[in-house]
Amino acid sequence: MAIKISKTFLMRKLHQITGIVPLGTFYFVHLFTNSKSMSGDQVFNDSVADIHHIPYLLFVEIGGIFLPLLFHSIYGIFISAEARNNVSNYGYGRNWFYVFQRVTGIFLFFFLIFHLANLRFGLIPGLESYGNPVAGNADRAFAIVAAEFKNIWILIFYILGVTATAWHLAYGFFLFAVDWGIVIGEKAQRYALYGSVGLSILLSIVGINAAVAFIEPCGLLPRAFCEQVEKNEIVKPQKF
Amino acid sequence: MSETNGHQEKKRLTNPPKTIEFRVSRREKLGAAQYTETFEIPYRKSLNVISALIEIRKNPVTKEGKQTTPPVWSMSCLEQVCGTCTMVINGRVRQSCSALIDDLLLASGGNKITLEPMSKFPNVRDLQVDRTKMFDHLKQVHAWVELDGTHSLGPGPTMTQEVQQERYAYSRCMTCGCCLEACPQYHDDNYIGPQAIAQAKLFNMHPTGKADIDARLEGLVGDDGITNCGNAQNCVQVCPMSIPLTRAIYETNRDVTINALFGWLRK
Ligand code: SF4
Repeated sequence: MAIKISKTFLMRKLHQITGIVPLGTFYFVHLFTNSKSMSGDQVFNDSVADIHHIPYLLFVEIGGIFLPLLFHSIYGIFISAEARNNVSNYGYGRNWFYVFQRVTGIFLFFFLIFHLANLRFGLIPGLESYGNPVAGNADRAFAIVAAEFKNIWILIFYILGVTATAWHLAYGFFLFAVDWGIVIGEKAQRYALYGSVGLSILLSIVGINAAVAFIEPCGLLPRAFCEQVEKNEIVKPQKF
Repeated sequence: MSETNGHQEKKRLTNPPKTIEFRVSRREKLGAAQYTETFEIPYRKSLNVISALIEIRKNPVTKEGKQTTPPVWSMSCLEQVCGTCTMVINGRVRQSCSALIDDLLLASGGNKITLEPMSKFPNVRDLQVDRTKMFDHLKQVHAWVELDGTHSLGPGPTMTQEVQQERYAYSRCMTCGCCLEACPQYHDDNYIGPQAIAQAKLFNMHPTGKADIDARLEGLVGDDGITNCGNAQNCVQVCPMSIPLTRAIYETNRDVTINALFGWLRK
């Protein structure tokens, strides 16, 4: 007998799926592009231009990013509003993580509004991107971000955003795995959790490094690690 | 804690205070305003919260010297198997019969103890709550085995030792409400809570109870069913009977998910 599915069930599962599949995928692609900043502005700008050349770009952006993001964040706020946080009396690790997932979610809601308004749409007056956002200005992309990150507060805000996203996504994988009944046992959950925490640390480091690379070639790594490409030089793959 | 031959030496209260102060939540009746009254009783060895409340009841005068009504609470077995005397003690939910005063004082380091009713149930009076909701949840998930006939059908199918042991763990639930009280997701009846999910599991594992798996699942997938679990996992930490509640929840999650993903393909 097939059981009738409730609205809450559908919404919850959709919330988890949108977080993992479109947004998770987009996150990794985004992080990959960001990390190209380590090799300087030519490489970064080229990859921004590549994004502009994605076929059906408008549909990909709306259907693959904006709609899932809108749903995930608005329903996420409803979920957060339901919580009766009680860590002061029940300060267990998982209970703290439960709170963090909601706190990072709400922070990211505001961070992403700023981030989109800033670099995607160029709507924040007083910033370099005002009226000329990264999207659509591939040839100046690196310079725009670099100019903004000279302001330490903007850089710090982005670093917080990157860290919060890393945690929210990595713990989101854990939540997905337990909520869909994939990881059940106590031990299995403990290992899955270690994996999530490890992943979040790794992703945070990669994300922060990519951000720092806009003001410091190769970011936090020694320059020898990155292939610095001079402007207008044609990037040829190295032969081995 | 050092362990020798299975005997555990417990930390003991060595220099107890002269008096113990109780801050007790009061409410005259359902819907009336809640307020707190403070009572002071002399320290005595080996008190538990119930015996301290009995002490207060003998002479219900507040610390300030005001004559008041004796505080009301529920109790029955006095050995942590009935679940009736559950209340929030120093901010944490537990049974008041097994809450030893010495341990509480040792943990807090002072001489004050706060007593509040559970906040997730209708507060009938003072420390007394109405836990009917939990029994309604048991009905919702069909937490029983159907009677199989009026005449003898012979012995039922046997259960393996493994299943017996796992079922025994679930069968210890005393419907006390600790898990619901500590759950940050449970309120306003938007979520069925760990207790009913574990009981559904108990009867799903029963060889005869298996016949009603679908009826139980039906009770769990609704808007107020299992879906609102937020994975804070406080339930398994506070359950006084050490019931593997999260295992029950996640195994049920698996059943529900599989049913939702593939159930319609059987139509
Ligand atoms: S599952 Fe544990 S905490 Fe919850 S009602 Fe049963 S005995 Fe109490």
